[in-house]
Amino acid sequence: MTEFLKGNYELKVEIEEKKEDAEASAIDEFERKALSKLGGSICFVSKKGFLWTGDKNDGSRTTDRTPAE
Amino acid sequence: MTDLGRRIARRLSDATFERVAAVGAENAAVNRPRIERSLLELAEERLGTGKAAVVIGAGPSLYRRRSLERLAAADFTGAIVAVDSALGACLRQGIVPHVVVTVDPHHERIVRWFGDPAMMVAPADDYFRRQEMDPHQAEDEIAANRALVELVDRYGREIRVAIATSAAPAVVDRCEAAGMRLYWWNPMYDDYDKPGSLSRRLWEANGLPCLNGGGNVGTAAWVLTHAALGKRRIGLVGIDLGYAPGTPYEKTQYFPELVELLGARHREAFIHTENPVTREMWFSDPAYHWFREVFLEMAREADCQTFNCTEGGLLFGEGVITSTLDAFLETAGLEAGKDHHG
Repeated sequence: MTEFLKGNYELKVEIEEKKEDAEASAIDEFERKALSKLGGSICFVSKKGFLWTGDKNDGSRTTDRTPAE
Repeated sequence: MTDLGRRIARRLSDATFERVAAVGAENAAVNRPRIERSLLELAEERLGTGKAAVVIGAGPSLYRRRSLERLAAADFTGAIVAVDSALGACLRQGIVPHVVVTVDPHHERIVRWFGDPAMMVAPADDYFRRQEMDPHQAEDEIAANRALVELVDRYGREIRVAIATSAAPAVVDRCEAAGMRLYWWNPMYDDYDKPGSLSRRLWEANGLPCLNGGGNVGTAAWVLTHAALGKRRIGLVGIDLGYAPGTPYEKTQYFPELVELLGARHREAFIHTENPVTREMWFSDPAYHWFREVFLEMAREADCQTFNCTEGGLLFGEGVITSTLDAFLETAGLEAGKDHHG
């Protein structure tokens, strides 16, 4: 599909990024970097189990919360 | 008061990945040749009697409520699991944890919780002088560090460390030098079922289990205690997930970062909440608020009873039973006897 979406023409005008867009992008980047400093020391992955010990041989996922006994 | 703090907190899941994933993966690659034991092997060891455990964080209630002094006096025979930043406080109180948990990938800071033999002058970084996790560090950093080096060297051989592959190599060096036994695990960084998952790539590379850590080392220690060690009655001390009443904002853990992000509006990011038992007004910043929300989400799913014995703080809600430390220790002692004698 992607070959059909390629541009096959040259634009006669040069498109410049709007000043407001550039500013918003800079603010987003600043926020992203600043926020990363506020994050924790380890991730939390929602809707996943507590301990993942890898795929079992039968191909099923070990997402269980069953601890070692 | 605005809900600025809560709005920021909602973005911290992604922010945490941004903060720790790259450096954690880098540390995992450096640490790989040093990995000898898995966390799963730790689950096979006898860590205290019965199914009870105490998980020790380094929040302000540890000192406010003299939790360690009381724990030391109680003759508790269950497992004791401590976060790295509480290790010094435990050893000073004569408590040698069965397990110490460490995960933060920071290259300079974390080794200090084990005593840094290389530290000769107080660092420019005021992290340890500023925060409440170990007040001894705020008084005289050099003397406190030297004393901690001696304590960790003395007791290191008795301590197992549940160490994440994200830990800085300096922490690995220090733990090994002190004779600690290391049991490794991967932090769960992302959904291992999604294409390109970092968690999956780490598991494929080193075969270690991935632990869903809940944002901070205290929550990770609680997860580890029930999901890996199989403990069923867990008392929490020093896991406040908030700041004690009267704590100056300048002394909070993320203060410089909040000022950088919000400038003059940084005060609006703090969230004040009344503890329903003590009626004290504690407060959190966006990070601690997120930790609390995550803990409560996880607690609802956990296959264990969680007793909040901090006698303060902000960790209350469905899935968490509020208890005094003394009541928990008394009950846990009876249960341990029952487990032990059949």
